[in-house]
Amino acid sequence: MVPCIGVHRNLACLVRAMGGVRWKSSLRPAPLLTATPVRALIDEQISIKGRFLPPQCPVTVCAQMHSDDGDLWEAFAHYNTNADGTVNLTRDHSVGGSYFGCEPMGLFWGLQPAPGSREGLRLRKKNVETPYVMLMSLLEGHVSPSERQSTELAAITTERWYMAPGVRRIEIRQDGVVGTLFLPPGPGPFPAMLDLWGMGGGLVEYRSALFASRGYASFSLTYLGHKDLPGPQTCINVGDSYFKSAYHILQDHRQVCADRIGIIGLSFGAYLSLRIATQAAVKPSCVISINGPVGSTIKVDADGRSKSFESYQKHMVYDDQGHVSFKSMSLPANIIPETKVKIEHIACPLMYIVGEDDKSASSMENANLIEESLRDAGKSQLFTLLSYPGAGHLIEPPYTPNSRLSLWSFKPKKLFTLWGGHPAPHAAAQEDSWKKILDFMESHLTR
Amino acid sequence: MSHTVPPVVSVVPSRALVDETFKVAVQNLPPGSPVTLHSLHLSEDKDFWEAFGHYISDHRGTVSLAEDFSFGGTYTGKEAMGLLWSMRPVPGSREGLRLRKMNVCSPLLVNISVYSGHVEEGFREQAPLASALTERWYMSPGVRRMEVREKGVRGTLFLPPGPGPFPGLLDIWGGGGGLLEYRSALLASHGYVSLALEYFSAGELKSAEIEFNYFETAFNIVSEHPQVIPDRVGIFGLSLGSIVTNYLAAESSVIKPRCCVCISGIHVYPRGATLKGFYRALVSNTHKMRVDENNHEIWRDMVLPIPDDLSQKLDVGKINCPMLLVNGRDDQNWPTVECAEDMAKMMRAAGKEHLLTRIEYLDAGHLIEPPYSPHFRATKFIKDSTKEKAILLWGGQTKPHSDAQEDSWNKILAFLQQHLYSSQTLKAKAKM
Repeated sequence: MVPCIGVHRNLACLVRAMGGVRWKSSLRPAPLLTATPVRALIDEQISIKGRFLPPQCPVTVCAQMHSDDGDLWEAFAHYNTNADGTVNLTRDHSVGGSYFGCEPMGLFWGLQPAPGSREGLRLRKKNVETPYVMLMSLLEGHVSPSERQSTELAAITTERWYMAPGVRRIEIRQDGVVGTLFLPPGPGPFPAMLDLWGMGGGLVEYRSALFASRGYASFSLTYLGHKDLPGPQTCINVGDSYFKSAYHILQDHRQVCADRIGIIGLSFGAYLSLRIATQAAVKPSCVISINGPVGSTIKVDADGRSKSFESYQKHMVYDDQGHVSFKSMSLPANIIPETKVKIEHIACPLMYIVGEDDKSASSMENANLIEESLRDAGKSQLFTLLSYPGAGHLIEPPYTPNSRLSLWSFKPKKLFTLWGGHPAPHAAAQEDSWKKILDFMESHLTR
Repeated sequence: MSHTVPPVVSVVPSRALVDETFKVAVQNLPPGSPVTLHSLHLSEDKDFWEAFGHYISDHRGTVSLAEDFSFGGTYTGKEAMGLLWSMRPVPGSREGLRLRKMNVCSPLLVNISVYSGHVEEGFREQAPLASALTERWYMSPGVRRMEVREKGVRGTLFLPPGPGPFPGLLDIWGGGGGLLEYRSALLASHGYVSLALEYFSAGELKSAEIEFNYFETAFNIVSEHPQVIPDRVGIFGLSLGSIVTNYLAAESSVIKPRCCVCISGIHVYPRGATLKGFYRALVSNTHKMRVDENNHEIWRDMVLPIPDDLSQKLDVGKINCPMLLVNGRDDQNWPTVECAEDMAKMMRAAGKEHLLTRIEYLDAGHLIEPPYSPHFRATKFIKDSTKEKAILLWGGQTKPHSDAQEDSWNKILAFLQQHLYSSQTLKAKAKM
């Protein structure tokens, strides 16, 4: 029989006294954890609240999910419930865990690989047609996620989507171009974006999926490291004519407004975005370049194709743990002059985004170079610079975790590359820059 | 640059639970232009349902349903959710349709489009300016659905995610029969273990041998579930299910619901009778059934006048738990408001009036369901006696009925949370 215990006994004490057996009684309400909305787009805020908890009690809120590769990622934060027995992540302050202070989305951008995971992981959604399924739990006391089983008070499941309902995903293999087109629902025609990524290669779809969820046709393009591209996967075997063809595929699509196309690129993709925009052959309405150089240290032929990557070995700098930084590759002094874009030829608004803790590219130096060139050309009014202290190289859509470093290659042995960025400032940079990117696109593509 | 950026319609959030609101907005319209916002849904029965509102864009070319007025269509005024609750079958549809989601594991898909001008008809023959798709869910992710076939009880149990234990609900529908899961799925999404109960198939009430211990057994399946707090289980009934709820609350010595919600219920019931017996008594009054100008059947007089003879009524004075009664004053199927008045009298006489909360809505009908679902003034019903399909008049006018659905659902959830989640003890309540 359960002995009679005073109503005001602290919940944590109670469970310890009972040896972990739950005390079922009408005197003890069940705690309730809610998330609103439970199904959200990646860039939407989710409001998490716990209710019917004892007042002024330590609790932990914890998030766990599996990546597309099956790795477990988790985040947690320590709170104290207030006098009415509630915890509210949009109002309350974390006093420990993956983040501190009032961070409504901290459990999402603060995700890290669970202890015991493989090294150098980076969270990237490969299949954008399914959501991230996240288990959010409310735990008793200030504990870590590994203690979830024995301390769980309540839990809910949330889904986070890159694709809104009705968005269409279309694989493009046309005119030698390899990519994926995302179209918003409806007849269109839609303003559009060409979406470019870095030298990690492959076909990265998630940012395009989000743009389509926000009303833009968006074409994710690959130029390196994809089986459907010509030549060895370790070289860039496509040149200016490839990107021009890709732009035309977008422009000629009956559901795209031919004269409302922008280009966005991260890292080497930022270089490509500037190169495409300044080559006169196409006329984008705006360009967004993130953490990328104005030129390349890779020898390229006249058409922009790379011969090999040997030439950049000399610019690879290793730290004392053997991790490589590519940063000096993009220093203006090290750029091969013939590859340098003629930035003064740009004819549309340009937004350049810098992470000041970028360990992979010399973003600040390139930003300054672009700013100078445009000033000299009398085109300062086209230039917008966003610069974020503490943010790293991988400035991506918001509420997703940053990796300070990740696995770059594993032959002949594992090599990790540095990206930089500290969790909280990088998260703030992603959140702020995403809003500004969408506003910039709205200004120049929809008005 | 061309000046013809096409309009964009947005629905935020694009994926929501059916009782959550959304914000519908259109941008990039020419300023001051008349447009029509239109919703379209293809039901599981393959019928098309639609709603529409006539708007005028502002100087920036924007329309926002949260702020702007509709001047025509299936709803008027400032109605953020009008495109859902005012839906009706498209012209040319079969008569007497009712929109009910049977598969709760998939969402209701609603297409929201904007058309140029103030359009009244022929939406599918013209191209919209823009459209968006929104998902409306009865189930949160992580809610578990389990079929129950235990101790003779048939139903579906919905469990919230998490370790529990949770408060529970027995969810009892009306005389239409069958197994309706959507309210239980939604209640589980709000943190209640909820058992949607089937107690006879459609059209089988007359022959169904239902004794009340069927419901007591069902109640105990919930209260004895390892993830349910045994003394925090309530009962939720609609229509015939409310009679069952009143009966259990008053007469059962086996179960003790913590609280009850009765929508559109009555207490006129021969004491000690089975449901079959109740039905026989009801049907003996068919001479009192009326029809309206459309030949739709009005059943409310079959229960009137409310008898003074206590043996013809449930002994509601014996109820010992908080009761929330939700009724529509335009209920044409049962005289629920008159019965609620009589119930209050009986409970007052027994000193139990503090347990009763009565909510009545002017111009709401019988079928008070979760919010934003369309209103049905009259729908097909399988008549037990002849197995023929008649059309029953439920009552209610669309706008006030929809307001009643939205308002009552908030009040129901607050009531359930108060009695099943919070730690406060029972307090005397004033009648609303």
